[in-house]
Amino acid sequence: MKIYVLFDGDGRHINPGGDPETCPVETSPDRLVKELREGQERLRAASVEDLLGLCDAAGRAWTQPGNEVARMVGSLAIGFLPLWLRRSNLEPLIALALRGDRGAIDGFVPQAPASQRLHRAQPRGLLVHWVAGNVPLLGMISVIQGLLTKNANLVKVSQQNAGVLPYFLSALAEVTFRRPDGEEISGKLLTDAVRAIYTDREDAAGAALSVLADMRVAWGGREAVEAIMNLPRRFGTEDIVFGPKTSFVVVGAEKLSGEPEARKAAMLVARDAVALGQRGCNSPHTVFVERGGALTPEAFAALLGEEMGRASRQVPPDVSPQESFRIMGWRAEYDIKGEAWYSEGVRWSVFYSDEDRGLATPCYGRTLFVRPVDNIFDVTALCSVNTQTAGLALGDRRLKLAEALTARGVERCPEVGRMSLYEAPWDGMYPMDRMVRWVSA
Amino acid sequence: MGAIDELFMLPPYATRPGEHRGLLRAAVREAIQFHCANCGPFDRWYRKQGLDPDAEIEDLARVPYLPVSVFKRLSLESVPEVEVVRVLWSSATSSQTPSRVVLDRTTRDRQMRTLAVIMSAMMGSMRRPFVVLDAAAAQGDDLELSARVAGLRGYLMMASETHYALEARDGGIDLDAAKLEELFRKLSARRTPVCLIGYTYMLYQYVVAPLIRGGRRLQLPPGSTVIHFGGWKRLEQQAVDRARLNSEVEQVFAMDEPCIRDVYGFTEQLGLIYPDDGNGVRLAPIYSEVVVRDPVTLESLPDGMPGLLEFITPLPHSYPGIALVLDDMGRIVSRDRGENGRFGTRFEVLGRARGSEIRGCGDTLPEQIYQVKEVAQVQA
Repeated sequence: MKIYVLFDGDGRHINPGGDPETCPVETSPDRLVKELREGQERLRAASVEDLLGLCDAAGRAWTQPGNEVARMVGSLAIGFLPLWLRRSNLEPLIALALRGDRGAIDGFVPQAPASQRLHRAQPRGLLVHWVAGNVPLLGMISVIQGLLTKNANLVKVSQQNAGVLPYFLSALAEVTFRRPDGEEISGKLLTDAVRAIYTDREDAAGAALSVLADMRVAWGGREAVEAIMNLPRRFGTEDIVFGPKTSFVVVGAEKLSGEPEARKAAMLVARDAVALGQRGCNSPHTVFVERGGALTPEAFAALLGEEMGRASRQVPPDVSPQESFRIMGWRAEYDIKGEAWYSEGVRWSVFYSDEDRGLATPCYGRTLFVRPVDNIFDVTALCSVNTQTAGLALGDRRLKLAEALTARGVERCPEVGRMSLYEAPWDGMYPMDRMVRWVSA
Repeated sequence: MGAIDELFMLPPYATRPGEHRGLLRAAVREAIQFHCANCGPFDRWYRKQGLDPDAEIEDLARVPYLPVSVFKRLSLESVPEVEVVRVLWSSATSSQTPSRVVLDRTTRDRQMRTLAVIMSAMMGSMRRPFVVLDAAAAQGDDLELSARVAGLRGYLMMASETHYALEARDGGIDLDAAKLEELFRKLSARRTPVCLIGYTYMLYQYVVAPLIRGGRRLQLPPGSTVIHFGGWKRLEQQAVDRARLNSEVEQVFAMDEPCIRDVYGFTEQLGLIYPDDGNGVRLAPIYSEVVVRDPVTLESLPDGMPGLLEFITPLPHSYPGIALVLDDMGRIVSRDRGENGRFGTRFEVLGRARGSEIRGCGDTLPEQIYQVKEVAQVQA
């Protein structure tokens, strides 16, 4: 058994772009789990207000000009992370998950304001997270929720972006928060309940970790998630699975009444496509545009091309040679059979054909396929549990379409421009709700 | 005579620096004009690049290029159907969809002549016995075997006689080392050099590896050549690189002057082959030029920098495969250095372009998820 330790009580053992296989090796998870249990006890003794205060302090620090972590946030194009860590975001998130009273994670509280019955949320225990490398902030999003619910967190990162989570964990350990009573607490309160590791997929460590887990949290593509789910586990261990899904945008004819309004919608679609390098399950690949507006779907595609150019300017593309080759193929095809708008190089591409229907197979690399529909409700038939986010640019019909789409399996119907935000519910659940056991007294 | 015909009348390798480039540019321009006039989709695409087909070409790297995968996606033809004499399908290595290109007589003649002169430059113009490192494909044999042998067909026009080194047996393929040894003994007695030819992985897996396991070493007639092609993907999985393959080929075949050539080429520009010098370095003949493009900016890269390989040639007449970018990575080693009296662009193939990284929850789903279903009528 070979467990590469990327982050532990001594801090991080890997640079952000480093190779996880150069990190210290453990031949058993015993030490890590023992330390995690100790860290979790300190976490349980703390108030959720302190935990929120530490996260908020990190969020504030990581947006300060000149801050080293803020620079890293910028270079990874994950500006969402420090905003997500702010108290104003996390307080409602945890309240939603904990039946409206975040105090339930600290102790017994009334089930309802006037209720005699008390309940509280107990941490599950040891959460083992398997985090994919596609979106660098996934690891932090997963871990912070585990910490706010006072669990111990063992995170197995992927080889790609292996050093990113340890970097942010070590930055979080250095954060301080001064409580209202003047006492200063350290971010180590949080990070002592986290260990980040890497193991080869074939290594026996995977099964050992799975058996230790009180809850398994798996983010990844189908093959990876299935492999994790097939690992042995103890009776009673629960799973949270964030598997592969695809996302799209719907633009209604009412948003195509004139160029200014259509351009605004295009600008928001472009923002969603560029965020997360278009690698998230919530990243759009297909843009369904309704016919019948003053602007045609093709005219909208042209506007979208202009807005993609603007939105792509700040962040360099992250495109593999194989993806670049695939993008060239689509460009040639649409130059010949339809219309194509694209940058010099492979910074972005927008494709349109009157004949296209259905969801496009993702091409990645900031590539959007604009497809006409006669009626926005036609899109409903394309949806299933495999479709995650539908970004909607609609007027009064928004909730009605959201009703129809979510009935078919879509998980989120935010307005365009908000697709990339990680919010709750997510994939059909309030994740922090799943990370606790509800008990009563 | 047009520039294209003039170009293909010349011997394959330049004997003076840059002597052929003006003619190649003129021939490529002539080819572009032809395909724009005869292939509507190509004309549409070319003009969308903002270029005039009649414009002079000053720099081949500025010629608009198509990704080779376009022949998997679209049917691009520059001759009437009645003139098509053959349809080629690629091996579809990186996707399930094969490329489709149509050949007319002109294209086929250019392919055959080009292949013949490059082969002659590699091993002399005298026809010689070819020993194919495969089993003979009998009628009704399995499709994979037939496809492999079909891929060899062009090379076999240089053969005075053809022998097959392997035998299909019980659903597998076996080497009869004793039979091969006897064949080499007879050919050696005639002092006839032979050409051993086959796919790279077949050479290793079915010939070299069994001979090494059996501790055998076969004497090849003087002047013999070993030619292999098809890429290294399968051998990389077995940790076999060029140095090891060459070393083990020399271990099992006794050759007076070892001549082991790895040949690079692709269906969409069939006839143009790029044999290496034994060390992976290849020289572009005067009929084509190689460009290396940055995968992100798509600009041509300075010599030495790795990027996507592009090949430009006026050879295809029946389809517009003039400037094609491949999903193979490579780099230019030198230009017009004149090694062995041959000038031109020398390059290396570095292997298939790196695939996309793990995409986690944003990964693609099974293809059927994206297929259009019958649209349900839902009232708004």
